Amino acid sequence: MKRGLSALLVVGLVCCGMGLGLSAAPLKIGICKIVAHEALDAVEQGVIDALTAAGYERDVDVEYLLANAQGDFGTAVAIAQDYQTRGVDLVVAIATPTAMAAVQVFRGTSTPVIYAAITDPVFIGLVPSATDPSTNQNITGVSDMIDVAANLQLLRDVSPEITRVGIVYNPGEANSATLTAMAQAAAASIGLTILTAAADSSANVQMAAQSLVGRVDAFYVTTDNTVVSALGAVLAASEEAAVPLLVADPSSLAHATLVHGFDYYQHGLMVGAVVLRVLLGERPDTIPVTYQSGAQIQLNLDQAAQIGLVFPAAVIEQASVIFYGGQLWKR
Amino acid sequence: MATLLMHAIEQGLAYGIAALGVFLTYRILQFPDLTVDGSFVTGAAIASILILDGGDPFLALAAAFLAGATAGMVTGFLNTRLGISSLLAGVLTMIMLYSINLRIMGRPTLSMLRASTAMQVVGGSWSPLGSLAILAFIALLTLAVKLGLDLFLKTEVGLALRATGDSEAMVSAHAVDPRAMKMLGLALSNGLVALSGALVAQYGGFADIGMGIGTIVTGLAAVILGGSLIRSQRVGWMTASVLVGSLVYRMAVVIALRYGYAVGFQASDLKLITALLVILALVIPAVRERRLRKVSSC
Repeated sequence: MKRGLSALLVVGLVCCGMGLGLSAAPLKIGICKIVAHEALDAVEQGVIDALTAAGYERDVDVEYLLANAQGDFGTAVAIAQDYQTRGVDLVVAIATPTAMAAVQVFRGTSTPVIYAAITDPVFIGLVPSATDPSTNQNITGVSDMIDVAANLQLLRDVSPEITRVGIVYNPGEANSATLTAMAQAAAASIGLTILTAAADSSANVQMAAQSLVGRVDAFYVTTDNTVVSALGAVLAASEEAAVPLLVADPSSLAHATLVHGFDYYQHGLMVGAVVLRVLLGERPDTIPVTYQSGAQIQLNLDQAAQIGLVFPAAVIEQASVIFYGGQLWKR
Repeated sequence: MATLLMHAIEQGLAYGIAALGVFLTYRILQFPDLTVDGSFVTGAAIASILILDGGDPFLALAAAFLAGATAGMVTGFLNTRLGISSLLAGVLTMIMLYSINLRIMGRPTLSMLRASTAMQVVGGSWSPLGSLAILAFIALLTLAVKLGLDLFLKTEVGLALRATGDSEAMVSAHAVDPRAMKMLGLALSNGLVALSGALVAQYGGFADIGMGIGTIVTGLAAVILGGSLIRSQRVGWMTASVLVGSLVYRMAVVIALRYGYAVGFQASDLKLITALLVILALVIPAVRERRLRKVSSC
């Protein structure tokens, strides 16, 4: 009888506890990005989907505060401050300026800041080391650094006639500047020379691409927000020069000859995974920078036919998706 | 709510110093100076590399001012010695500064997260004020700049500067070289804008090559908005109105961010809401004035 009563009491207490837990205020997660952009939007969606799949239902268990800094520095800072005054439990900052503002505002606090879509967090001073997170305090995140050497090697594999590669990039974008410098450093050992053309805004991309026509055997575009947003102009230049265009962003397959890179929705899912680790109790200063892996090669055979390029069998073997006859074919 | 207000005032005053610079060229000197989009970043760039090198953050502010002044003199040289029109001269310097700023920083973004900025120092040594320490520092600095500017504009040189804006023919008839006045005005103005850039960079914890985009627009918005709210021809009130204009603009951004969602707006509607709030800020005093006039005319 006594055992029954005490069992009932325990069950009752547990139910009360669960009830209290269920009626507790939902988690507040601030997700901010520097501009509205396909890739960044995909990251945002990936994070939300990852959390939803793990059981954090939107508006029930977790409230998302989504913000877009419209490309403005002051607004990025204001958004981070707004998150602070609203008492968010965690911040996901997508792209460099928003991440910089978030880590500054939450400096010295216990609120975790998870950065996303940043190519080299060490180079820009966000974290002091890529492998040792012990001094990172409340900051950790996922890098979308692409394997530039692999990209260049891929161009070499496509055609041995490619010796000069033209890179159109925005020197004002941290990620792009880093990747271009890496390309220049890796080129020599792969037997390539790099020519660059700078475009500080999407309006200047066409001119920059045109300046490389006749001087290069291939065009290469990294994960440069500015150039990718005006990719059509680079494609037009590459067609005029009858040379292939390699873009490091798979979502741009329709505007390229071939792509080799990461899917940003996947990137978002990876960021979501890190967020989950932190929410479940792991401290950010125990999680080193996560580098995305699993780059895909996708080929646009229609575009290749237009410039008279035939992909070697070895390259086609590596591709996971092919665009041919106006249709996407998945392996 | 109080923290919201505090942040809005901090940003409003920090950017307000740049607005004072725009005021000096646009209103006083009657010179539409577009250099500011570039010199704002120059100030941020110089300050951040000095701070990352271990330099004193306050001296970094002074160095930023000097760098901005130099940029202003380049525009002045293009306009007064090479005869290039004011608008074009400013644009040319701004374009040059893009490349120069990238060289100064060495990369498009520089983080001062682990360095000792003015905010860190103030937050530490003025700790009795707690979270108001940074606000107090920015307010004092802005006040000092404003009063300094007011005093300067009442000196002989300052008056000559104001007269140059009104009529170059008149000042040269009084043995004042309008070209020298323009150089001085542009140097002072861009020095202030660069100082503001250095302050904002330290406040945000990082310098970014794109942080100057729109400085002329927000500066003019502050000048014109302030001028509509406080109508006076007296220097002291004019500079005060510029700071008020900057505060109102930043307040509008903060309010739009905070309460925009409640009215059903999306994150991308931020600029729309900000502009609507600014229009409201302009219309309300005008409506009130018209009502007062109607009452008094009875």
